[in-house]
Amino acid sequence: MISPRTSLKRRLTLWLIVIVAGLGTLLLIEAYTSARKAADRAMDGQLEAASLTIAESLQWPEGKPTLEMPASALQILATRWQERVFYWLQADNGVSMTQNADLPITDAMLEQARHQPVYLDAVYDGRPIRLSGREVDSAGWDTQEPVQLWVGHTRRGRDLLAQELFRKSATRFAAMVLITAALVAIAMRTMLAPLRRLRQTLRSRRADDISPLTLGVPREMQELVETLNRLFADQRDQRDALLRFIADASHQLKTPLAGLQSTSELALTSRDPNSWYQALNTVHDSAERTSRLAGQMLSLTRLQHLGPGHQREPLALDRLLREVATDWADRQDSREHDLGLAIDLPIPIWIEGERWALHELLNNLIDNACRYTPPGSEITLRLSNDEDEDPNGAAERVTLAIEDDGPGVDTESLARLTQPFERGRRQDTRGSGLGLAIADSIGLRHGSRLTVTNREPRGLKVSLTLPRCRPPEGSVT
Amino acid sequence: MNRRLHVGLGSCLWLWLVVSGVDIAQADERLIIEAALDRQIVEPVLAAFAIENPQIDLDYRDRSTLEVDRRARSHDSPPDVVISSAMPWQLALSNEGMAQPLDAPEVDQWPAWAQWRNEVFGFTFEPVVMAYRLELASHMPPPETHRDLLDLLTHYRQWLDGRVVSYSPRDSGVGYALLQQDARYTPRMWDLIAAMGAADVQLETTTQRMLEGLSDGRYWLGYNLLGSYALLWAQTHPDIIVQVPNDYSLVLMRMAFVHRDAPHPAAAKRFVRFLLSRRGQHILAGQTPLFSVRDDVVGPYTAQRLRDQVGDHLYPIPINATLLAFVDTLRRQAFLRRWDREIQILSE
Repeated sequence: MISPRTSLKRRLTLWLIVIVAGLGTLLLIEAYTSARKAADRAMDGQLEAASLTIAESLQWPEGKPTLEMPASALQILATRWQERVFYWLQADNGVSMTQNADLPITDAMLEQARHQPVYLDAVYDGRPIRLSGREVDSAGWDTQEPVQLWVGHTRRGRDLLAQELFRKSATRFAAMVLITAALVAIAMRTMLAPLRRLRQTLRSRRADDISPLTLGVPREMQELVETLNRLFADQRDQRDALLRFIADASHQLKTPLAGLQSTSELALTSRDPNSWYQALNTVHDSAERTSRLAGQMLSLTRLQHLGPGHQREPLALDRLLREVATDWADRQDSREHDLGLAIDLPIPIWIEGERWALHELLNNLIDNACRYTPPGSEITLRLSNDEDEDPNGAAERVTLAIEDDGPGVDTESLARLTQPFERGRRQDTRGSGLGLAIADSIGLRHGSRLTVTNREPRGLKVSLTLPRCRPPEGSVT
Repeated sequence: MNRRLHVGLGSCLWLWLVVSGVDIAQADERLIIEAALDRQIVEPVLAAFAIENPQIDLDYRDRSTLEVDRRARSHDSPPDVVISSAMPWQLALSNEGMAQPLDAPEVDQWPAWAQWRNEVFGFTFEPVVMAYRLELASHMPPPETHRDLLDLLTHYRQWLDGRVVSYSPRDSGVGYALLQQDARYTPRMWDLIAAMGAADVQLETTTQRMLEGLSDGRYWLGYNLLGSYALLWAQTHPDIIVQVPNDYSLVLMRMAFVHRDAPHPAAAKRFVRFLLSRRGQHILAGQTPLFSVRDDVVGPYTAQRLRDQVGDHLYPIPINATLLAFVDTLRRQAFLRRWDREIQILSE
């Protein structure tokens, strides 16, 4: 998880440091060992030269080996670092010919040197030394004893040489790291430039500017820009919807207000109290309608502005339905309709929801049904199992529907019915066109969209499906 | 009264300090030097060192080269400083790890050709010379070169028979080293040895005894003497002539080092530093015939002045690993065998 304060640059730098440190340690270890090897290779040449010089001076008068130690061989062995030099010669019979030090030479080493010249590290007098051994043989008139010839010296020159080589590699490596760091810093600036450009572009935009970004960015960032643009487009759509709503609302308010104005103006020109009374009646009706309209707009706005449901509680849907139906049966508005209740399920039916919102939803749906159907129409509030669900499984959802046997709505308008101020091309009623929109918003708050379908042979069905819940502890079933 | 008491107390204190100081010096600051270098010759240097370091009790032991080598190898009572003119043996001791490196400004200034591994330092520059009695010149042309010497041995053998003296290569480390070096420079050396053998050459182990023999009249001509001793001798013995060979002259360098197991390392290092210091070398150049190596020192006995006097043919025995070959047992045996053969090849 990236915490918001972590800098990309710092992360990149950290990674680079980790990589360089790890790699660097390996490289330096490698450089150290190879420097030692190189120094050994170079200095083993001196050992070989000295060894060969001594071998050249070996002679076998009467088959017995003897030697006049060549001074140059020792000088070669000493090298310009003035090493301590050691030599050790032994005839084949195991008798030492001459030596200047009791070198720690084992039988295994003798055996090794018998086949080919060997170079190896050893410790003499508490100090590491380098030894080279070979066996020297020669043809002659008599049988000639081979001679084991070992030379060696201390490691001062090797250590200095290795140090020098290692210092060079280390310097090269340090220079490489510095150059890399500089290049990476430049690369990082270059790479992060589009990001910076994007930031600057966004920052310099006006708050209400939601036009798409037109910015040349690398492919990796294209996605980000597209996402931003999609966000902008959504914002634009929402703003458009808002503006449309405001325009519609203004229009809806303007019509009754204009009616009020003209009615009152007309009445004012008359001296007849009768016409005043009539006009007042009209004004009263109109004001009531407008007030209702404003109230509905308010509740729609409030619903859309509220966050997701807060005060959900388990409630018995059948009981709620019964309450609302009873309430409506007493009202003036439904007097001419036949309001019925059809619960096809065992009760009680528990759902989780907001009581006031569901109340509002039912009110709106019933009000709508009453308003848009002719008198005498049958309106049924129905609770049934979700049709999509497996009929044999445990019912997890319940469908709440309001059916009428009114004229229905033509197919084109069906989908738009839930939008504000949509009346399904009906201008003959006094509805605000907000009822279904409010109901849909409430449905949405409960995780379900309103479904509007025409019934066969006639009538309309508005339904939504709600998830059921366990009955609360202590409830009476 | 008061004042006198004061003085009395003061002198008591002083006395106590001196006594205890001497005690400490005797207990801690001894310095054992095993040297193949006549005390009589080097005395001015030792005296100057003693004056500068009164707390150091100097134990200077003058011995032969081979004895010095033996004592340097002893595990029981190692010396602090080892000085010897037997250059191969000294280098061998260093190679065996018997010397400890010296880190000092004097060492940094010391010429690279006169030291080995910062351990062994050649601090004198002594030409190897011929010496003859003055009366030799009345019988034959005095020798100036090695060739002259060979000619004299060939043509005036009747005069020189039994009167030629040189080092014994078997019994003297210096003599052996000088002959080895001679033989390295020219194979005609063996002709000279054969001629000396024919003239019944007498062999001595020290330059001192050769010089005594010359003064006694036992010997007329000495070959391969240490110039330092001979020049000093000639100052008091006008009948002895010292000749630096004109063709080539070997130069021997006394080599000094601080022993690895020196019981008094601080004093030992101080002494070797003094030998190499400008002051020590100045005394060497002015008051001993040992010749100073440093070219920033002025005096009658300096390497530079010797070069100016005798020319370019001074060949210092190089201080490097080649010397180690001389002390190789086989090589020494072979050399001595050949020497034995050559010395009597003409007398048979």
